[in-house]
Amino acid sequence: MIEANELAKLYKIPHEKRTTLFETLLGYVKNQMSYEDFYALKNVSFSIKRGEMIGLIGKNGSGKTTLLKILSGIVPPTSGTFQIEGRVAPLLSLTVGFHGELTAQENLYLYGTILGIPRKTIKESLDEVFAFAGVERFRDMKLKNFSAGMTARLAFAIMIQTNPDVLLLDEIFAVGDKDFFPQCLSIFSEYKNRGKTILLASHNLSIIAEHCDRTILLHNGELKAFGKTKEVLDYYRTL
Amino acid sequence: MNLIYELSRLDFKLKYYSSFLGLLWSFLKPFMMLGILYVVFFYFLKVGIENYQIYLLLGIVIWNFFADATKDSSVSITSKAQLLQKTRLSPLIVVLSAIVHSFWTFLINLVIFFIFFFGFGLTLNWSVLALLFLVLLLVLFTVGVSLIIVPIYMRFRDFGHIWDIFLQMLFWITPLVYQYKMVPDEYIKWYLLNPLARIIVDARNATIYNFFPEPKQLLITTIIVAIVLAIGWIVFKKHGRELVEQL
Repeated sequence: MIEANELAKLYKIPHEKRTTLFETLLGYVKNQMSYEDFYALKNVSFSIKRGEMIGLIGKNGSGKTTLLKILSGIVPPTSGTFQIEGRVAPLLSLTVGFHGELTAQENLYLYGTILGIPRKTIKESLDEVFAFAGVERFRDMKLKNFSAGMTARLAFAIMIQTNPDVLLLDEIFAVGDKDFFPQCLSIFSEYKNRGKTILLASHNLSIIAEHCDRTILLHNGELKAFGKTKEVLDYYRTL
Repeated sequence: MNLIYELSRLDFKLKYYSSFLGLLWSFLKPFMMLGILYVVFFYFLKVGIENYQIYLLLGIVIWNFFADATKDSSVSITSKAQLLQKTRLSPLIVVLSAIVHSFWTFLINLVIFFIFFFGFGLTLNWSVLALLFLVLLLVLFTVGVSLIIVPIYMRFRDFGHIWDIFLQMLFWITPLVYQYKMVPDEYIKWYLLNPLARIIVDARNATIYNFFPEPKQLLITTIIVAIVLAIGWIVFKKHGRELVEQL
């Protein structure tokens, strides 16, 4: 269950990006400290029930990632509130947290701990994770030698171990080979049956059309449409 | 808690994998510092402090912990930018694990210090127990300072240079190579507000000179450290999360 109420995210974009103290001081002296208000999200409200799989579409820059970051608790909203029931597993980038120089097993311990899984649980589930990802033979291989598809499957596999109630996915189908898709989708079906909620942001409209009951359309930070996937997709095409 | 352990383990492994020399360097550094400072101040400038090598070494080991931990906290945050922006990893955990990582090095250096200590024929008495408390104060102080400078560093990428210069100056304002008694009376009050100076002086008292630090002085140090820690906590709590977006 996800409830969002009037979520907004305001970024003050300086006209010139100043990352150093020197530049900032110079900016004051030259009186160039002007900012632009950029609303990454504005007036976003929606309600998602348990067991729903919801698509999140919109062109690049429409606010999908920002919305997911807010719902994940990574970024605080400027205003508005939201409520999520249960454990949230954000998968905003499949390969973040993985270190090339460590072996696959070491990476799982690290990544698993970041996700909040106790060490003992990680240890017990290692076999399962490697089997799911299909990379048992490569347990002790350095991650930099893995293919992109292999890493994607591995990241997804460990994420599943957290047994989340809500899955927030951002463009995970961009990376990943043909084996990855069916695995993901089978997990999605299983999750739906178990009453778990999934919010999937993607440009892959066919997957959205096939698996998402309803879809949210974001445009320039605003929620332009939220309803039956087919209708929303048709509307998206007219934009 | 577990995460801090994992992260500091990761950093340690990375340092080890990328170059064995890198790891060796973190243990060699205090001794190289010791070597050059000893030669310059004992031989050239003829500073006549007894057991100067031991005197220097303790100060250097403590100093290096502070300098490395504060620098590493900042670097650790920027190197983990991706993780901080895409997962719910807390910046506080990243800072703490960097400090823990430096702490392991500190402990090993401390052990080596004691090997030298006994090698020089010096002895300890029960006052050495004060060292436990002093180390605690040192760690808390380092955490407090890191919590203050990390948000600054997140916002201003050139702050690293400023901090380096500040450390250079702090090095000389701490009684590492000289005795604090040499500081003129007009300045001694301000001079002794520096918690590092206080900790190092008392650490020497507890180990080399075998007398337990004055409780009143310890109390003052504790208060100063507590204030720094409180400021650090407030600053970090307020700005830590939002500045992640600016990385």
